Amino acid sequence: MVLKINNISKQFGGITALSNVSFSITEGEILGLIGPNGAGKTTMFNMITSVLAPTSGDISFYDEQISGLKSHQITTKGICRTFQNIRLFPEMTVIENVMTGSHCRTKSGVWKSVFRTKSQKQEEKEIYDKAKQLLETVNLLKERETLGKNLAYGQQRRLEIARALASEPKLLLLDEPAAGMNEQETVELHRLITKIRDMGITILLIEHDMPLVMKTCDRIVVLNFGKKIAEGEPKAIQSNPEVIKAYLGTEGDDDIA
Amino acid sequence: MFLEQLINGITTGSIYAIVALGYTLVFGVLGIINMAHGEIFMFGAFMGVVITSTLGLPLWLAFVAAAVITAILGYLLERLALRPLRNRPDSHLAPLISTIGVSIFLENLADKLFGSGNHPVQNSLSEASFTIGSVNIYVVQIVIFCISIALMIALSYWLLKTKGGKALRATAENLETASLLGVNTKRVIMVTVVLASVIGGIAGILVGMAFSSVNPQMGLSFGLKGLAIIILGGMGNVKGAMVGGMILGLSETLVVALGYSGYRDAIAFIMIIVILLLRPQGLFGTKTA
Amino acid sequence: MLGELINPYYLQVASFILINIILGLSIYVTLASGQLSLGSAGFMAVGAYTTALLTTNFEVPLLVGILAGVMLAGIFGIIVGIPSLRLRGVFLAIATLGFGEIVRVFIVNTESLTKGAIGISGIPQLGREILDKLEVIGFDPEILGLKANQFTFLIVFILLLIIVIVLVCFFSRQKNSRVGRAFSAINMDEQAAASMGINVTYYKVLSFTQGAMLAGLAGALYAHVLSYISPADFTYHKAVEILTFSVFGGSEVVGGAIFGATFLTLLPETLRAISEYRYMIYGILLVVMMAYRPQGVIDEQMMRWFKRRKGRRQQHGTENK
Ligand SMILES: Nc1ncnc2c1ncn2[C@@H]1O[C@H](COP(=O)(O)OP(=O)(O)OP(=O)(O)O)[C@@H](O)[C@H]1O
Ligand SMILES: [Mg+2]
Repeated sequence: MVLKINNISKQFGGITALSNVSFSITEGEILGLIGPNGAGKTTMFNMITSVLAPTSGDISFYDEQISGLKSHQITTKGICRTFQNIRLFPEMTVIENVMTGSHCRTKSGVWKSVFRTKSQKQEEKEIYDKAKQLLETVNLLKERETLGKNLAYGQQRRLEIARALASEPKLLLLDEPAAGMNEQETVELHRLITKIRDMGITILLIEHDMPLVMKTCDRIVVLNFGKKIAEGEPKAIQSNPEVIKAYLGTEGDDDIA
Repeated sequence: MFLEQLINGITTGSIYAIVALGYTLVFGVLGIINMAHGEIFMFGAFMGVVITSTLGLPLWLAFVAAAVITAILGYLLERLALRPLRNRPDSHLAPLISTIGVSIFLENLADKLFGSGNHPVQNSLSEASFTIGSVNIYVVQIVIFCISIALMIALSYWLLKTKGGKALRATAENLETASLLGVNTKRVIMVTVVLASVIGGIAGILVGMAFSSVNPQMGLSFGLKGLAIIILGGMGNVKGAMVGGMILGLSETLVVALGYSGYRDAIAFIMIIVILLLRPQGLFGTKTA
Repeated sequence: MLGELINPYYLQVASFILINIILGLSIYVTLASGQLSLGSAGFMAVGAYTTALLTTNFEVPLLVGILAGVMLAGIFGIIVGIPSLRLRGVFLAIATLGFGEIVRVFIVNTESLTKGAIGISGIPQLGREILDKLEVIGFDPEILGLKANQFTFLIVFILLLIIVIVLVCFFSRQKNSRVGRAFSAINMDEQAAASMGINVTYYKVLSFTQGAMLAGLAGALYAHVLSYISPADFTYHKAVEILTFSVFGGSEVVGGAIFGATFLTLLPETLRAISEYRYMIYGILLVVMMAYRPQGVIDEQMMRWFKRRKGRRQQHGTENK
């Protein structure tokens, strides 16, 4: 079991963003997390990565309790995420963004950096090479000296994925990676996600683009108003009456078909 | 003796409270700390010196002059130091640094214009006092207290009941929404900064009357006191400013009465640090996410 | 011959420039992680008074006194820095301003220890002490054709220059490393930094403490260069002046502090008429910079451009060979 969400609830003042949600992810799968706007998907990511503390419930990662750890410790354990509203380091170059992602897999502190020790130089070279490789994977190698803020929208999304991969996660959390992408880019994204899975990384994917979700995911968990209303394979989810009702209750842009 | 100290404390506290109001207003609407507020206040205080002591004119004229000068300074502050920075995504520190620039400029300008050192404020009221029982009360103290309270009430009324006040509160709530609702936010911001400055200027005159000494450096120490009070009372909170002012005024008087007058000015700073660390939202503020 | 070239006044000005560069760096390194400290004058005072009191009252060697000053400033940095993590940017600035004022009020009021507002005089002078040490082993400045006082100014300048070069190397290297990237990641987006596995608390305290130690070092050196300090040297004015060095010169890069401190120290020295209006000019500079060039005169882009040009020239050079 890679990740086990156990009875997580989250309250914001009077709003219940999540109530008693449980599910788990097995090694090597791509799990979709879907639901209408405001269903609590991003909040779930914030619980997993300790950006916010759950009101109740707990989370374990490879059978180890991770609730209560700090965000950076969770990344070090091997969970990394992207953000729904892209959060790059805008004034860093593309390659620096990715190298920063390697932070928790490297060790050089102040003294090693200042004295440029052999191990520090070695480490810098390694993460530079690795960053180049990751940029190649997300097809951004040519843009490596561009500032993060000067990239096009779709490129920024891919850079965020490369940056997350640099932290060598065992579990990658993607929050609406296709948002704002055109059709062509979405097709490439699908290829990228499966490629990442083939690298041996388990993926939890939040996405509103239903064709993409159905095509990419092995299993899907559906949230509505903070509750889990369905879980299963894409086919079963597509024909689940609860799910259809939840989606029909909102505007049509999330058409499930 | 005790009562006299109490009255001293309350008088000082009510002045501090109106210094704090200036910070609160600007913070409430713009979400920035105006580091130049103390210096604008100091210019108001110098108007008191110039009108009453230098020119020998009546006190009410000093209030008018202070209001006019500080309104102009407030206008310039908004036009030159705040507006150019707005709508830039980058930094919350820019307005802070910019107003620090204005503060240091104004302080040294005052030094050049009025001269360094302490300047006395003379007016017909300064010596007048009466005695109730064994307690000696200066008329000035009563006047200061009444003006402060009147200002507070007027401001609260204006904020709660008038159209301008409502526009200001809407802007404070959310600038974009307010402008969508048809509020001329540019004007509201200008009005806020000018109003805060004028209130600061009036506080300046009151300080001149109460302490009878005015100098170019007073902006910093009173400014820090104002900051301490809004940090104590919670940002953007009129009632908090009043209570915070009283607490600071009384504790300073207490420290002086205990014989540690040298540390009088340190109370505000210690208060700032302690409150920021223990209860960043202030005594009356509610925690925001 | 050397003797005629060396003018103590110029050396004195140059020494102040170097001390100011250290101060500018102290702002630079705290800002690198997105924190604004207005307490630099306070940390400077801690450094200056620590070494002044130790060396004048207990005849502690200068080096020990200076190091003690730096350490104590660093400890204060940690004490102020850790709780300040809970504060948003603006409030951190105010808390540090409060700290600076508390230090000053404390110094003014503990007359028995610090001589209060009068200040401490007769602090051992750096150049003098070095000369004394050298004379013991039989050195005479006349060998270099220098008078004793010329030599002391010269040696102080050289020493400060070495310190500054070391510090500049230190911080440029730190900037282009894992630590520097962590600082700027935090500066740009704290939450994203944390999700990349960066320990935000640790790096913020680290950068704040480095800034405090630099200010403490500058203060300690200042005390031994001037041999007289008083609370008036460490006011809010000083804090704003230090801030201006960095903000004007450029707060993103190490070179910014160097340029800012050099330019703003030379300006009033060369244009005497300006000297009187120095602080007014600082004020105007801060406002103008924030409006038109918040990153300062020298910025990252400029440095990149320089680097690329240098790179190209080097490439050219090797091709020609
Ligand atoms: N920090 C917060 N403070 C208060 N309420 C919040 C906070 N974060 C989320 N919420 C509320 O929790 C609910 C769930 O929000 P969440 O962002 O998790 O939804 P979502 O499923 O990601 O929606 P979307 O598809 O629009 O991204 C919403 O009602 C939202 O307003
Ligand atoms: Mg979301």
